[in-house]
Amino acid sequence: MLAQDFLTFHEASRRGGVILSFGGDLSENVLFSLGEVLKLRMSQGETDASVAKRVFSIFVEQAQNIIRYSADKLPRPQDKAPGPSGLVSGGMIVVGVEEGRFFVVCGNEVPQADVPTLRSRLAHIVGLSSEELKRFYREKLRQAPDEGSLGGSIGLIEIARRSSAPVEYDFHDIAGDRCLFCLKAYI
Amino acid sequence: MDRIQIPATDRSPAVDFDFSAGLLRISGESYPEDAAAFFGPLLQSLRAYLGQGGENAVTVEVALAYFNSSSAKALMNLFMALEDAAAEGRPVAIRWFYAEGDDTIQEAGEDFASDFSYGSFDLVTAPQAEEAHR
Repeated sequence: MLAQDFLTFHEASRRGGVILSFGGDLSENVLFSLGEVLKLRMSQGETDASVAKRVFSIFVEQAQNIIRYSADKLPRPQDKAPGPSGLVSGGMIVVGVEEGRFFVVCGNEVPQADVPTLRSRLAHIVGLSSEELKRFYREKLRQAPDEGSLGGSIGLIEIARRSSAPVEYDFHDIAGDRCLFCLKAYI
Repeated sequence: MDRIQIPATDRSPAVDFDFSAGLLRISGESYPEDAAAFFGPLLQSLRAYLGQGGENAVTVEVALAYFNSSSAKALMNLFMALEDAAAEGRPVAIRWFYAEGDDTIQEAGEDFASDFSYGSFDLVTAPQAEEAHR
């Protein structure tokens, strides 16, 4: 029964075109290792170099968003300096191919309080043309990062720029004051 | 000022800031765990160097095969310090290397170049961006 259940799960993910899937605690070291095997898989699958670069870039931005902004974090050791290194955060990240197109989807819990800001940032980004995205990216690059940002506040714009279609996103209320946030990008 | 030399790692670039020669180089891949921690000290040193004034030309060579958005932000801070110095009369030249056909890095160079009006910012094709500094 154990093997049968597992086979069903494995075949379902293969049918969904999944080439890499991770769920659980994500750290910068895990990100690096997953990124290495993803690169290897794409180079052996003879993925076009420019597509492979964009997939990798979106994968890194998505994974770093989970690490930095997931509400489901392991307590940080006392001796760690502030900043993103040393963070361990729960989330899911899946890379796959659908109808010949790569996708990267991530899911992680976010505090309810962060949802309105995140939702409005995404709604804005999704409405922009590629030329407008470029201008918006250049503008944000010059500004100081937004409050609470551990990076450059440009990760979501970077994901949208490297995508071949508007990013899809969704929020789902879960217990307490948290919400599951999902973001899917097609390359 | 003391020269800064940092060897490349799997996810952070090689850095060679030879202040006395006026030649600053960054090459490799850049998606460090904490971009602010990696680039912060470099930005401080660059600002201190530029703050000393002088007429010596500054040349910056960047040959990155990949960098994440946090690194982009950090690079922008380095470039803004250089453009400010150029605005005050310091000769500043940035050479942005990209592998032929690498649209992502070429476009990233154009993003940065659009902010330079006093310093020069040139995009340079290299057969292999990573080879440019060997």
